[in-house]
Amino acid sequence: MTKTAVYTLLVCVLMGLSAYAAFYVAPTEVTMGLVQRIFYLHAPSGMTSLAAFLVSFVGSVMYLLTRKPRWDWLAVSSAEVGVAFCTVVLLTGPIWAHPAWGVWWAWDARLTSTLVLWLLYVAFLILRTMMEDDDRRAVVSAFFGVFAFLDVPLVYGSIWWWRTQHPQPVVFTSAGLDPTMRKVFYLSWLSLLCLMALLIRQRYELEASREELRMLEQELEAR
Amino acid sequence: MKLLSDTAVLLQKELRAEFRSHELLTTASIFILIVIVLFSFTFDPTTAESKQFGPGLLWLAFLFSASLMLQPSFLKEKTNDTLSALRLAVGDPFAIFLAKLCANTIFLLVTELILLLVFGVFFNIAVMPVFWKLAFVFFLGSLGVSTTGTALSAVSSQARMREVLLPILLLPLLVPVLIPSAEATRALFEPDHALRWDWLGILIAFDVVFLTALWLFGEYLLEE
Amino acid sequence: MKNLDSVFAAYLIGWGVFFVFSLTVAKRAASLKKELAQLKERLQDSARQGK
Repeated sequence: MTKTAVYTLLVCVLMGLSAYAAFYVAPTEVTMGLVQRIFYLHAPSGMTSLAAFLVSFVGSVMYLLTRKPRWDWLAVSSAEVGVAFCTVVLLTGPIWAHPAWGVWWAWDARLTSTLVLWLLYVAFLILRTMMEDDDRRAVVSAFFGVFAFLDVPLVYGSIWWWRTQHPQPVVFTSAGLDPTMRKVFYLSWLSLLCLMALLIRQRYELEASREELRMLEQELEAR
Repeated sequence: MKLLSDTAVLLQKELRAEFRSHELLTTASIFILIVIVLFSFTFDPTTAESKQFGPGLLWLAFLFSASLMLQPSFLKEKTNDTLSALRLAVGDPFAIFLAKLCANTIFLLVTELILLLVFGVFFNIAVMPVFWKLAFVFFLGSLGVSTTGTALSAVSSQARMREVLLPILLLPLLVPVLIPSAEATRALFEPDHALRWDWLGILIAFDVVFLTALWLFGEYLLEE
Repeated sequence: MKNLDSVFAAYLIGWGVFFVFSLTVAKRAASLKKELAQLKERLQDSARQGK
């Protein structure tokens, strides 16, 4: 078995375990009931998408400094994966909000910030499709990637200040979250982080073979 | 110091070009006016309602017009390839950005203040007593808009579909400008005319963060 | 067991998104691989002709 296959299997097992834990191990929350179990997919997905955008930011900065195409590949791969995780947050949020609050969308601070983030990184991906020259595209989109990531804390800060209706974040405080719940939460986050690494790798390979193709085409033309 | 003198020369060039033709100022003012007039058909334009919705509407109109107005900022250098000449002329390429963003801030601020008076007349809101405080809020907001907008106009000028691309890139980025500016403006229309420093703090943070980022990374956008 | 269907739907949709994303990347990669193989063949052909 190849290394990728082993790793893929590992991620699948982790995902299955965390789903099992979310459904059967975690205690049912008192006020919100069963629907709170969406939390174990919803919240870690949000944090994982932020992690992916952080990786994309590192890729962008490193590309601007070193001009190695590999960093550009990393930046675009993790931006795409981050958008996928963001999409999951945006889809599971309303599924949770509807039974809990009676509305699909409540303009609560974190969900709204995630929506703005999603828009920002979709704009990043659109920008990349609008340029043909590989080097220019890498430079320009790296620049926008830096701007987009710097905007993240400002988006969160301003929307937070504007409106706070969500249950306050209880993940990192010592009290609040039940210890079993916390363990399940961290297990879910771990499984999603591993999934993120797997997806980024898969997307990165795609960029690498695109480069290989370009080299071959050049070679063919040179003859 | 070379940076500042370069910037001053380039800024003069930008201002002279604009004040000779008035193209940007007239079109932007008329555009904002159209947006305000059209918006007022969508709600009951009494004073109480306008105080509620006015500031947000005003800032939305400013942002939309900025995303159109900043388009030519780098595009016009592209048509005659004057950008490479500019780059050769200055020591630090940041001077090009600095001059353009100062000019754009001035243009935005001038149109905004003109339209503020029209807004006050239309919706019967007394703007004169708080004019200078409003001008301060508008300045901080416009600085943020023109810093990011100038940089992104250099980005979009190198891509296809640039007319649509600039608003798509710029508007989501400007969420942290829109919210504090609109809220701070609304607070100034309240009876106690208070300057809300919590909102202004976010605006100042935005300006500082993106000015620094542009200073650090802007030159990469100008290379061939 | 109120709202269990919502939890199921959320997990189904969430995992669905990851799966579809991975699938589209795999699809793009497969078509690239095909193109690569064709190009390599053409390269070898032209090398043989050159000799």
